[in-house]
Amino acid sequence: MLQEAQAVASGISGADIALAAKYIAAGLCMGIGAIGPAIGEGMAAAHALDGMARQPEMQGALMRTMVLGQAITESTGIYSLLIAIVLLFVV
Amino acid sequence: MSVDWGKIVKSINWTLLMAGVINFGLLLYILKRLLFKPALAFLDRRREQIAARIQAARVSETQAQQLVVERESELRQARERIEGILADARREAEALIAKAKSEAKKDAAKIVADSKHRLEQERDRMIHELREAYAEIAVLGAERVLDREIRIEDHRRLLDQLMEEINEESLRIPS
Amino acid sequence: MGTIFEQLSGTLTHLGEKQIVTFHLGSLQLQFDKAAMIMSWIVMALLIALALFLRRALLQDVEDKPNRVQAALDALIDLLQSQLTANFSSERLGNELFPFISTLFLFVLFSNWLGVIPGLSSPTQDLNVTMGLALMVFATSQFLAMKAKGMKTYWKGYLEPMPFMLPLNIIGELSRPMSHAFRLFGNVLAGTILTTVVMAKFAPIIVPSILNVVFGLFFGAIQAFVFAILAVAYINVAVEN
Repeated sequence: MLQEAQAVASGISGADIALAAKYIAAGLCMGIGAIGPAIGEGMAAAHALDGMARQPEMQGALMRTMVLGQAITESTGIYSLLIAIVLLFVV
Repeated sequence: MSVDWGKIVKSINWTLLMAGVINFGLLLYILKRLLFKPALAFLDRRREQIAARIQAARVSETQAQQLVVERESELRQARERIEGILADARREAEALIAKAKSEAKKDAAKIVADSKHRLEQERDRMIHELREAYAEIAVLGAERVLDREIRIEDHRRLLDQLMEEINEESLRIPS
Repeated sequence: MGTIFEQLSGTLTHLGEKQIVTFHLGSLQLQFDKAAMIMSWIVMALLIALALFLRRALLQDVEDKPNRVQAALDALIDLLQSQLTANFSSERLGNELFPFISTLFLFVLFSNWLGVIPGLSSPTQDLNVTMGLALMVFATSQFLAMKAKGMKTYWKGYLEPMPFMLPLNIIGELSRPMSHAFRLFGNVLAGTILTTVVMAKFAPIIVPSILNVVFGLFFGAIQAFVFAILAVAYINVAVEN
């Protein structure tokens, strides 16, 4: 990367643009991809908390279901993470 | 710079994957034999024992409750009997007292009546005696009259005086 | 400025080579395999040692007052039963699969926790390991579904509600072990990457070590729980429908 930075200083080639695009794409992929799961998990936690406040005796079951739901919601975030890793290291 | 997905899928290391699966299978077998089976059996045995103990405790509790109920009923019966006995005794005592009172009253009345009767008898006797005494006195007086030849007026006056005295004397007798 | 770039770039490319090496058919592959295998064996050794330790509790009589080891064993088994296998649709299934689900949970838990120790890495940050576990859950769920419903009903299930839904059903069925494996792999790897990047970027050791503990211990435990409970849910769904 140091050589690449030096190359940027001397002159920009096509490969450099592709490299920059790769990093930008990985960042965008992770950043935008994290919005959905974040909102979804927050809503799950909020409603689970609502339920727990209303019925404290249901806490165990609510907690379990909430974690399960959040794990499934997180899938999309994990997919975007994988895409970002593929963009960074494989492409 | 295109993604070669076929290469990625092919590049999943199947030997390592199978090795991981075999590792896990081995671990599962060892843990099952070593820990889970005996532990679950142990817990089951203990659960059964606890259930048996709870059952036994429940049985003895019901027995104890029965005993308590029996004792209470016995106690209640005993109390009722004691109260009955006490009430009988009280009634008898009252009857006795009433009887004694009435008898005492009767006795007292009888004693009063007896003493009255005796007094009357005494008075009668004394009156009788007095009469006899007056008769003697009269006889003696008559003898004296005969001796002194008293007149008839004197005679009457003497008799009247005598009678008055007798009446006064007889009235003076206590009743 | 230049040194930070160099460090970060070096760490990331190193990470990439180390973790994603199976995406390339490179010469480093063998080394990487070795590391994952050795980490798996360390986890297995730890679990067997734990089992041997907890086994001492079973030596005493049932009548005796429970000692500390037995209390620990009780707590562990109660936790596993109430949190994981109690979610099975039938109690018989829960009892039957209790060793499998418990071993799954304990293996993933100890694997995730192993990454906290410097010098060691989690076996679960290798896609091959998680894929192997997920495929085992998949095979178990399909086998139990065949056993519970019979061959005919099982294969007919792919043609419902309409025969042309067959490819969609197959894709849906296959996507479960995929997402199951990728979820664990991605979470553990993300923790490792974040910790490594922060460790390269910030000099104070305290920040990455706190991150390491949070990702390794807390998220590791949550991910292990999620992996096991998803296995329970997948088997439940396969057996019921």
